[in-house]
Amino acid sequence: MLDSRELDPATEFRQLYDQQYVSVYRSIRGVVLDSAAAEDLTQETFVRAYRARHRYTPTAPPGAWLRRIGINLAISYLRRQKLARVLPARLYVAPDRREYDRAEARDVVTKALTTLSPKLRAAIILHYYDGLTREEIASVLGVPAGTVASRIAKAVAIMRRSIGSDQDFGPERSSNEGALRGR
Amino acid sequence: MKVPYVEDKPTAGGSKPPSEDDLSRMIRDTVESWKPQRGPDWSGVLIRLAHSGPPAWLLYTAASAALIVILVTAFLVGSALQIGALGPQPVPSNLH
Repeated sequence: MLDSRELDPATEFRQLYDQQYVSVYRSIRGVVLDSAAAEDLTQETFVRAYRARHRYTPTAPPGAWLRRIGINLAISYLRRQKLARVLPARLYVAPDRREYDRAEARDVVTKALTTLSPKLRAAIILHYYDGLTREEIASVLGVPAGTVASRIAKAVAIMRRSIGSDQDFGPERSSNEGALRGR
Repeated sequence: MKVPYVEDKPTAGGSKPPSEDDLSRMIRDTVESWKPQRGPDWSGVLIRLAHSGPPAWLLYTAASAALIVILVTAFLVGSALQIGALGPQPVPSNLH
């Protein structure tokens, strides 16, 4: 998913911004599961990356470098807001959610993602959407590759069960969601 | 590496969970359907840059340097003016 044309952040930052904006947004949204917060964090990611553009070293593609900043910002944001624990409730019971959020709640994949912790969501999105290898994800998240493999396996197991139970009971909330989240 | 147990058999009366390939495709399709409402806004980045203060590392470095300068200056001034503990100490008269 990362673009093959690698731009130099120090001299081509504006082009890098246009090229990577949407994919960085999607990666961040996969962690925070909130469209408005994801847009704000995406802008903040590029602000921080712009300030650090001269310190970028080409050991990883610029896209992976941007994701590292963005995912870390997203996880810090959730930690600060303590959203991780209340996110499923926000998606399903908030009375003033807009139409697109209600559509999201109906989406079984989004629903399954809410059952994961932010760190598991980050691993899943980076692996299945961004197409990063376990070693690349390890570099982005700053954890060993074995931890990444374990997180992906755990997240896949939880999501498969969550989606499987959603298909059993239709749009109703999964009865084992809470139990799974705690594991 | 410890691999969590994954139940492949359908539960009683339920449908089978999606395979890993199906799950991968579902995740990709869902994430690709997410579109930012505002889209790229370079002027927004520039505005944030203009309104943001100096980076934290610069702030902490400057504050540390300022503290060192203040402490060294205070020591030198105190020594020169012989203020407090930096002044000459009385020598006990019973020492030979």
